Amino acid sequence: MINLIPSLPRTTAALDAERTRLEVIAQNIANSNTTRGIDGRPYQRQQVVFETALQQAQAKDCNSATSPQPQVSRIQKDSRPGPTIYQPGHPDADANGMVQLPNVNIYEEMADMIVASRTYDANVAVFKNGRAMAMQALSIGKH
Amino acid sequence: MNALTSIRQLWSSMPASPLRAADKLAPASTSIPTAELRELNASNPAASAIGTQPADASFSSVLGQMVQDVNAKQNIATQSLQDLQSGQNVSLHQTMIAMEEANVSFQLMVEVRNHLLDSYQEIMRMQV
Repeated sequence: MINLIPSLPRTTAALDAERTRLEVIAQNIANSNTTRGIDGRPYQRQQVVFETALQQAQAKDCNSATSPQPQVSRIQKDSRPGPTIYQPGHPDADANGMVQLPNVNIYEEMADMIVASRTYDANVAVFKNGRAMAMQALSIGKH
Repeated sequence: MNALTSIRQLWSSMPASPLRAADKLAPASTSIPTAELRELNASNPAASAIGTQPADASFSSVLGQMVQDVNAKQNIATQSLQDLQSGQNVSLHQTMIAMEEANVSFQLMVEVRNHLLDSYQEIMRMQV
């Protein structure tokens, strides 16, 4: 099939990856006060790890066999310890009255969210420029 | 989709008389879009069926292949939109990209059709 808009597979892959990152950030922020997860421990911050992948399966698409595309390789837990506060009345407090909070730092998540949003914007701009170039090329034929 | 099917009917009916005549009368003018198409498909292994066609492949078959490509892109966009609306695992940007791709390829097809009609009109105006 003809490929009219340049760099389409890579841009789509990057948009997918950034969307996944935003979902993980949303999960972190939503669980920033969860002191008891499924395993009974406080929620642990998740972070996405990007990698480049050669999409061999889509080798029929133009150029994609040789161009690396970003994708989310795994979502791993942040092993840093969370803060501990003294709150004896809390249901999840230990014998000393200390409560282990999730290791989610809301400011860090907001900064990550800005990065994800800006990268998404940049990739959308790449797509828009590619489309504009295709339309410009088509306008060569117009009288 | 109605516009596409009507255009395809137009293609299938047109080459019968006037375009065949145009092919014989002015091979130079009709060979330009064919070369252009071949160049567009040269870097695309999937469409190498077009790119490696012998030179005597009829222009109408190349055009028919192109209309089918455009129709396939429109179908992909429609399917993507339906998946998005029915809550499948399709993201918004994928749907928008598919729709834009269909739009651009449709524009290309319209441009080729305009040039084809222009050259046909030019030949009809020709003094014999």
